Amino acid sequence: MKAGELMIRFENVSKIFNINGKESSVIHDISLNIKKKEIFGLVGETGSGKSTILRLMNGFIEPEKGEIFLMDKKLNKNTRHELVKDTSMIFQDFNLLGNLNVMDNVLLPTKLRNGNKKENNQKAKELLNFVGLADFQQSYIRTLSGGQKQRVAIARTLMTSPKIILCDEPTSALDDKMSYEVLKLLKDINDKFETTIVIVSHDISVIKTLCSRVAVIEEGRLLEVFSLKPKKIKPISYKEALISD
Amino acid sequence: MIDKYFETFDMYKEEILISLYETLDMMLTAMIISIIIGILLGFVLFITRSDGIYQNKSLYFITSGVLNIIRSIPYILFIIVIIPLNRMILGTGFGVDASKIPLSLIGIATFARFTEQDFLDVNKNIYETSYALGANTLQYFTHFLLKEARSGLVLSFTSTTISLLSYSTVMGIIGGGGLGYLAISEGYQNFNYNLMWIIIIIMVLIVHFIQTTGNLIAKKYDKR
Repeated sequence: MKAGELMIRFENVSKIFNINGKESSVIHDISLNIKKKEIFGLVGETGSGKSTILRLMNGFIEPEKGEIFLMDKKLNKNTRHELVKDTSMIFQDFNLLGNLNVMDNVLLPTKLRNGNKKENNQKAKELLNFVGLADFQQSYIRTLSGGQKQRVAIARTLMTSPKIILCDEPTSALDDKMSYEVLKLLKDINDKFETTIVIVSHDISVIKTLCSRVAVIEEGRLLEVFSLKPKKIKPISYKEALISD
Repeated sequence: MIDKYFETFDMYKEEILISLYETLDMMLTAMIISIIIGILLGFVLFITRSDGIYQNKSLYFITSGVLNIIRSIPYILFIIVIIPLNRMILGTGFGVDASKIPLSLIGIATFARFTEQDFLDVNKNIYETSYALGANTLQYFTHFLLKEARSGLVLSFTSTTISLLSYSTVMGIIGGGGLGYLAISEGYQNFNYNLMWIIIIIMVLIVHFIQTTGNLIAKKYDKR
C-alpha cells in the first residue's frame, strides 16, 4: 500500500484498565489497518471494547502494549495533541454545550485554533446549510430534537475539515427517521469530502448500510474483518419497517 | 414610632455612609481576590481529585486541607490569628486595609469549594469532547468548563458575597469598621437600638439586592 493511503494503523495493541484496584485487560493484541476514504465499522456486543478502540484511535487513552499510527505518524503523548486536530469525533449523546447556541457550538473547534473569524463564520453558515439547519443558527441546544442535535454535532465536526471522523454509536439515541438522516449525512460527507469514517455500532443495520469493511470485536479481541457492499440508504417508514422481513 | 427611626437615621447619616463605604471597600477587594484565586483553586481541586484528569493525591490533600482549616477556625479567632500575616504584608495588623486579608482568605476558601462542586456538576463527557475537538487543558477550562458551569458559578459567587458581608460585620475587632461594627459599638453597646435596627434593615436590603441580582444573572446565563 502506498504511503499516505493508510489513515489508521494498529500494531498489536492491548489496553488494560484498572477497575476497583484490579487490572482488567479490555483490548487484546489488535492489529488493523484503515484506509483513506474508507467507511470502516466496528461491531460487537456492549462491553466488547469497540468504544475503547475508538478512544485509542484519537489518543484519548493510551495503549499498554503495541503502537498506533495516524496518517503514518506514531501516536504518543507528544504527538497526540497535534494529531487529534486532524480527527474529530461524533458522540452517542451529541456532547454539545448547552449554554452555547447552535452557531457558537459549530464555531467552537475554530476558537481553539488560530483562524480568520470572518471565514470561519462563513464556513459555519455553509455547514449548517449542508446539514439542513440554516434556520437554527441562534437556537439553543435544549430546543432541538435528537436528530437536529446530532446534525449540529456533525457540522461542528466538519468545521476543521478533519481527515478522519470517529463516530461512537451516532444513531443509538435516535429514532429510525432521524437515524436515516444522520447516516445519509455521514455518507454524503464521505462522498463530498473524501473523509475516512470509523463508526462504532452495536446495530448491524447501521454498519451494513454504511460500511465498506467491518471488524467484529468480541471480548476485546478482533475476531474477523469482513468486506461489505454498502446498501443504498433510503428512508423507511414505521409501516414499511413492520411489514418487511 | 417610625419617626424615631428617621430621626436616628438623620442623626447618624454621616456615620452610616462612612461605615457603608468601609463595608463596601472591604467586600469589593475580598470579592475580586476571591473570584480570581477561588476559581483557580477550585479548578486545581477539580482536576487533582481521585477521578480528576490530573489525579494528584498530595496536591489535592494539601489544597483541600488548607481550605478546610481556614473554614473551620471560628472566624472571629481566625481574624486574630491572622494578624501577624497582616503585619507581614501591610506593615500593620489593624485597620480597614488589614481587614481585607482575612476577609479575602475566607472568601477564597468558600468560593474554591463552591467552584469545585460547580465543576463536578458539569457533564463528565465535556472533557473528552474538548480533547476530541483539539483543546488543551487551558482551553478546556476557558472554553468548556467555565461556559457550562457559569450559571452555577454565578449563584455560588452570590452566596460567597453574602457570606463576606456577614463576615465583614466582625471586622471591627481589628479596626476594620463597617456597618456591623457601627451597629454593635454605637447601636448595641450604647443602647441605641434604633440605630442597630436601621443597620440591620440596610443589611437585609443589601443581601436581598445581591441575591436578586445573582439570580437574574444566573438565569440569563443558563441556556441549558
